[in-house]
Amino acid sequence: MVQLIVGQLLNGIIVGTLYGIIALGVTLTFGITGIVNFALGAFMAIGAYTAWYLTDGLGIAYPLAVPIAVAAVAATGLLVDQSLFRFTRNNLINGLIVSIGLISVIESVLLLVWTTTPKNMHYVLPGVINLAGLIIPKMKGVVFLVLLSVILSTYAALTRTWAGRAVYAFAQAPEAAMLMGVRTRLLQTGVVVYSTALAGLGGALYASLYSLEVSLGSSYILKGVEAAVLAGIGSVMGSLIGGIVLGVTEAVGSLFLPQAYRDAYGLVFLVLILLFRPSGLFGAK
Amino acid sequence: MRTSLAWLSLFLVPFVLHNDVALAILVFTFILGILAVSFNLIFGYTGQLSMFHAAAFGIAAYATDLSMSRLDVSFWVGAIIAIIVVIALSLVVGTICFRFRLREFYFAIVTLAFSEMTRLVILNWNSFTNGSLGINLTTTPTIWLPGGVVPVAGTRMWYYLSLVSLLSVVFVCTRVVQSWMGRCLAAIRLNDELAETLGINVFLYKLISFLIGNAGAAIAGALYAFYLGYIEPAYLSIEQSLAIVAMALLGGRETVAGPVIGAFILTALPHVISLSAELRVLLYGAILICTILLLPRGISGLIARPRYVS
Repeated sequence: MVQLIVGQLLNGIIVGTLYGIIALGVTLTFGITGIVNFALGAFMAIGAYTAWYLTDGLGIAYPLAVPIAVAAVAATGLLVDQSLFRFTRNNLINGLIVSIGLISVIESVLLLVWTTTPKNMHYVLPGVINLAGLIIPKMKGVVFLVLLSVILSTYAALTRTWAGRAVYAFAQAPEAAMLMGVRTRLLQTGVVVYSTALAGLGGALYASLYSLEVSLGSSYILKGVEAAVLAGIGSVMGSLIGGIVLGVTEAVGSLFLPQAYRDAYGLVFLVLILLFRPSGLFGAK
Repeated sequence: MRTSLAWLSLFLVPFVLHNDVALAILVFTFILGILAVSFNLIFGYTGQLSMFHAAAFGIAAYATDLSMSRLDVSFWVGAIIAIIVVIALSLVVGTICFRFRLREFYFAIVTLAFSEMTRLVILNWNSFTNGSLGINLTTTPTIWLPGGVVPVAGTRMWYYLSLVSLLSVVFVCTRVVQSWMGRCLAAIRLNDELAETLGINVFLYKLISFLIGNAGAAIAGALYAFYLGYIEPAYLSIEQSLAIVAMALLGGRETVAGPVIGAFILTALPHVISLSAELRVLLYGAILICTILLLPRGISGLIARPRYVS
């Protein structure tokens, strides 16, 4: 039983980092542009399909396919930001509707290109790690480490570099940041594109673990938003921890409570947090 | 005057238009129009982005059918039971949200959470709701006409039933919006702290608007289920919630009946132009994006004057 719990705990942590990477994108975009980009899930799907196509279709090595997929998603993100999101800055509802429209557009384009058949990538890294009786697929471990290092280095970049501090400054006082020489338009575009690239990375890694379908991102964007809100919007490390908390709640919760209600446990937790601590677990009071 | 004439002319449409498909599109427009108009009372007039609307719609669909099959009552009694159930649930959700002063994004997230929880319950309560398989409805509502009680069958009967229901909902919403209560709702939308200072009971008025809106969604749910003849948990999906927001924004949130136009465009347009399923979804997304960016006040905003208060 202990082994089962610890196993589920680890599973929850790994899935949680995947929620965390989306949550990070949600938090950054919301903090800088004032909108929630619900299309991040669709960008994740683009990343997943591109990575799958590059590896299984074109025969490019997976470690090389992932960065190419991320670059492709970021390019799409740039295109979308310049043509659409540029006009919805600080308008929550318009941004919401535009991103929803975008989900329909992206999903139908993916369907037109790659049809409805679910795609399964061949095993990139077969084999398992045996950790004192606990069995974890190697690839899951790799995905976890990659995502963790990306989130940690994002945190380091935000706190240690000039550009990162500019992001924080802009989130706190846009006009003051502008006066201090922050190129705000570039910054906003940069953050939107970076968020989509994060989602693309999440998707490209997802492709190596699970079967692909066009709407794969829809549950992840929800969990990402939940994790971001749970942690407190604007907190970078919070989005990682929020994602992990959510993943673990679901994984361990479904051991003791009915499996069918798996998605509900995180929601109950989220509602309670929002009611009694509206700024989230790690948000400023 | 002009608007009443426009409404009246809708009653004459079936005499001119004999195409069943076109009439069916209008029936869907009217039923979804009820949904969008009632949503707009909460969203466009009170300024609360509720994601619970699809849940109210779906719960009512299930409650109507289940009370008909379990309690052996007629469609209309079933619909009334459904409205009561929805109002009771909205009372709980609304009280929690408004007591804790959840605003904007946080209100949307919490109502979304409640909506998802309801969907999961309906999806997994197999013995009661038949789970993901849904329920096939075999009965039809009956109405009393001069000459006896007849079942509502055929597109034309449904056309009039849904049109009359839509008109009643539009009428109620117009009365609400133009009354003293409507001014309070507008004050809350514009600045709820100021409204509180002016002596408006913000909690109460937000709750009332939430209840009336959800009751409208319940009417739409009961009608929609029996017109379609099929209920499934997807009635409560997030996609449905978002489609409602889209209808309201597309039609225009500044007028009571504006969202009906949105319902018409989003239900009809993809059917009129014959396209494959993928291209249809693509078109749907493109319409949404273009309207928001090019017509921020919605389609009815093109003709209606900008509003100041109500």
